Amino acid sequence: MDISHLFEDLELDTPVRRVLLSKATDDELMAITEAMAIGLSVDEMQRVKDHFKEENRDPFDIELEALGQAWSEHCCYKSSKYFMKKSFIGVEAPQNLVLGEDAGVVEFDDEHVYCVGLESHNHPSAIGPYGGSATGVGGIVRDVLCMGSQPIAVIDPLFFGPLDTPIGDVPDGTNHPKFIYSGVVAGIRDYGNRIGIPTVAGMVNFHPGYTGNPLVNVGCVGIGRKEHVIHSRVGGPGEIYILAGGRTGRDGIHGVTFASADLSADSEEKDRGSVQLGDPITKEPLIHSCLEMNEKGLLRGMKDLGGGGLSCVSGEMALDGGAGAVIHLDRIPLKEKGLAPWEIWVSESQERMMVSVLPKDVDAVLHIFKKWDVEAVVIGDVVEGKRVKALWKGETILDLDLEFFTAGPEYCRIYESRKVDRSVPDTPFEQLDRTELEGTLLSLLASPNICSKEPVFRTYDHEVRGRTVVKPAVGLPFTPGPSDAAVIKPLEDSNKGLAISADVNPYFCEIDPYRGTLSAMEESMRNIVAIGAYPHSVTDCLNFGNPEKPDRLGDFEQACEAIGDFAKHFTIPVVSGNVSLYNESDIGKVPPTPTIMMIGLMDDVHNATTSDLKKEGNIIYLLGRTSEEMGGSAFYRHMEAECSCVPNVDLDLSQKISEAIFEMNLEGQLSAVHDLSEGGLAIAISEMCIGGHIGVDINIRRIGSFSEDEGIPLRNDVKLFSESNSRYLIEVPVQLALKVEDCLSRHEAPYEKLGTVRDEGLRITDGEDVLMDIPVEVLDHQWRNGLTSIMEGSE
Amino acid sequence: MKAEQVKVCILRMEGTNCEQETYDAFKRLGASPEFVHLKQLEGRDTNEGENRSLEDFHILMFPGGFSAGDYIRAGAIFAARLKASIKDDMVKFIEDGKAVGGFCNGFQIMVELGILPAFDSTMIEHPDAVLHANDSGTFECRPTLLKHVNKGKCVWTTKLDEGELRLIPSAHAEGKFMLPHGSQEKEDALYQRLFDEDRIVFRYADTEGDTDAAYPFNPNGSRFNIAGLTNDKGNVFGMMPHPERVFFRNTHPDWLRNRIGPSEGDGRSVFESVIEYVMENF
Repeated sequence: MDISHLFEDLELDTPVRRVLLSKATDDELMAITEAMAIGLSVDEMQRVKDHFKEENRDPFDIELEALGQAWSEHCCYKSSKYFMKKSFIGVEAPQNLVLGEDAGVVEFDDEHVYCVGLESHNHPSAIGPYGGSATGVGGIVRDVLCMGSQPIAVIDPLFFGPLDTPIGDVPDGTNHPKFIYSGVVAGIRDYGNRIGIPTVAGMVNFHPGYTGNPLVNVGCVGIGRKEHVIHSRVGGPGEIYILAGGRTGRDGIHGVTFASADLSADSEEKDRGSVQLGDPITKEPLIHSCLEMNEKGLLRGMKDLGGGGLSCVSGEMALDGGAGAVIHLDRIPLKEKGLAPWEIWVSESQERMMVSVLPKDVDAVLHIFKKWDVEAVVIGDVVEGKRVKALWKGETILDLDLEFFTAGPEYCRIYESRKVDRSVPDTPFEQLDRTELEGTLLSLLASPNICSKEPVFRTYDHEVRGRTVVKPAVGLPFTPGPSDAAVIKPLEDSNKGLAISADVNPYFCEIDPYRGTLSAMEESMRNIVAIGAYPHSVTDCLNFGNPEKPDRLGDFEQACEAIGDFAKHFTIPVVSGNVSLYNESDIGKVPPTPTIMMIGLMDDVHNATTSDLKKEGNIIYLLGRTSEEMGGSAFYRHMEAECSCVPNVDLDLSQKISEAIFEMNLEGQLSAVHDLSEGGLAIAISEMCIGGHIGVDINIRRIGSFSEDEGIPLRNDVKLFSESNSRYLIEVPVQLALKVEDCLSRHEAPYEKLGTVRDEGLRITDGEDVLMDIPVEVLDHQWRNGLTSIMEGSE
Repeated sequence: MKAEQVKVCILRMEGTNCEQETYDAFKRLGASPEFVHLKQLEGRDTNEGENRSLEDFHILMFPGGFSAGDYIRAGAIFAARLKASIKDDMVKFIEDGKAVGGFCNGFQIMVELGILPAFDSTMIEHPDAVLHANDSGTFECRPTLLKHVNKGKCVWTTKLDEGELRLIPSAHAEGKFMLPHGSQEKEDALYQRLFDEDRIVFRYADTEGDTDAAYPFNPNGSRFNIAGLTNDKGNVFGMMPHPERVFFRNTHPDWLRNRIGPSEGDGRSVFESVIEYVMENF
């Protein structure tokens, strides 16, 4: 369709066009949004047309670009907001939430706050894994920084297709998972390490559903003094806008519109320019300078330029502060000549920060930026009224009503929540004999989702800043085991600790989004509780498929419900979060992936307990209830058996057990604690043996025979590999056994004494039958080299 | 001199990022550290009162990090800027017997500057050693066990006994110490000088103390497992691992295995040694 008659060039020394919406038919409206690649629907374009009719004029191209960006799914959550409000936004909790803007700000102690955010950088990482993941780190660090807090930890949950996917199974135009995995890890390594913030936790998960669309979620935690918390809004009219940091370029144009559509075979080619480029050595001094001027009280407002660029930031900061703004686009420092004004306005170039300052403080602010060699320029003024204007050499080329501009549409699209039939009988198979059980355990230990992630986290500096008291690896320094959570001691003069954990099991979520999400919440909490902390807040990153398809949105709705039910029961607030939709490619949608990041607090880091076994003779107990809920389990996947019954969470039981663990940790009664997750009891006890380089002798006969399950004995493979929630293994010195049993009984927490730590291999019996007896060196070898052998062995 | 009179210049530029924990280590022992940006020594873009001179300090500290992104060669840009602006001040500082130290990127900067190993003068024009890319080809953050092998020359480790093992973590991509001088004979002779002149301070070791131990005990492939060096005078000292990260026991990787232990970490004595050296000599 020829729509050239609908564009009128302005007589300026830079390309600006007037778009004659008033003369356009509905078909032509659609053709305009496609030609300009602004991603608005015909209804939305109609709304824009009506608005400008009221203003008695036609819009400039830069105004349509601004609206396309502000009203994208990524910026205004138009499909997801309804469900989140309904389920978990504003859960009542005693935690003192200071504010929730770019990141959640929560009370840490009387004088300090911690600040937390989690974001996705999925589509950019699919196209440019190295740059995509690096800018993901950069973006979330800026979100935390712009609340006035010092970033102290980076967390990175990552999801890829299997590393051994045959080349032929990778869709056209898509990179191989091995390439994406290597690039993403290297991007986080090179960016995170260079800015000097430790990468302390995360997860790496492999599932065929991520082959066409990997997920890169990145979280950041910061710490600051209460009086230094700064808003992402201006103080009021009369202030001056200063833009600092990186220059503006063509990288990241239409980044948010790109994030708000499915990936396709030509994404690689077409969307390359949507991927931003990061520069850690601009970022590092930007962190120092922003914190320094904030501490000196020179700033009235601060906001980072992420998805949405200058356009969203200058408008939102002003509106939230009850004002308007005038921006001089010709003053913006550019990476290259020849950018059209609309490109400058919507570019998502990295490493940029906007600050609003009083006129008297402008020189002091510019001096601090200069000291750190950070480029900074005065680009505009905060003014009375609720409009944002952009000028080019004095000529107005954008003049938007801020309320219209920022009030993106909100939809309750049609959704269909799936009905999971949990009574479908399992695929039947014979009980395994001892050789088969031992072989299964060793295969699972080396499998990609269970094996050690050391090849990943060793390349991240997880100790810079010198405050990581529990690291990703625990136990013997040179043959460590896995840690349930990381613990940071953020303050010099206090032993108070902050525990961080991130989790989700996509294999549960794809079968049953509600139970899967509930399990993700509980697993994150188990990690926090196991390490000795109490859960304090939640941040989520909800990665789902195309919300315009009712079944995808139904999964999303179920996940939101589960988060809400859990958060309400435990009164743990959801303090910030991110939604990433349209995670689909030519081979379909990703599994529903609600990544949960939980923050726990502990009054004294010296109460932390790690998962590695400590001492021969100590007693091993299993806490919680084991049931036959094998859906999505690592064992059933290994056996190629199917089951629709995913582990449920008994919220009351979960609470009783976690409170008991917390109390025993506080009393210093536990030598080791480890939660049971993927691979169940057999994997958890193996990991404890590996970390301590010591064995155990345990008998699993009585598992499943306590409480209401009495009478129907569980199969021994179920006892070994069930992934029922709310379970932990604890190691207790003999002399404290009575106290521990008393505490567990008092909390009505079910427990079973399994056996003792011994100076030989892992021996598991069921009554008289020996199920396994494996030297610790063999367990260690399988687990530690799993990822390396997959990387080296694949095509 | 009292500890609080010991003035420490914690030098930084863009990309320096272990300065806070290095500062904290000196502060905890009662010394007076100050963050100084390179520009404050250069006198560039500074206001009145912001300029600093090296002679005001007793200890010059190069913290770890990725100065200028390490984009050319680790430490190269920082070293070039220092040489261009305050070369003479630095030579005088060293020849006056004041202490210069660097960890990780700091060590890389010192080698690039030519103040380590600096075989034949205080600061040589072209570096006589290199910290090359790790054998693994990537950045690695891992615990390393160091054997203190210095017989008394290095003023930064006087509080450590010869032969003592310390668990001090490493985190770098370019830490393989090499002396590339064209021929094997020349190189061997230079290594021999390092041993003969008591210039080697720390060597990577395994749990038995074996200094021939291979990866992962030797994280980068350095010949003779060299982890830290001093100059001929013993006042200039660089090491790849990070003592500032283990000032307290609670940042050791295995501290929760034994709850009733000392609260001091294995890196603390490095700071105690140099502060005591300054207190006794200035």
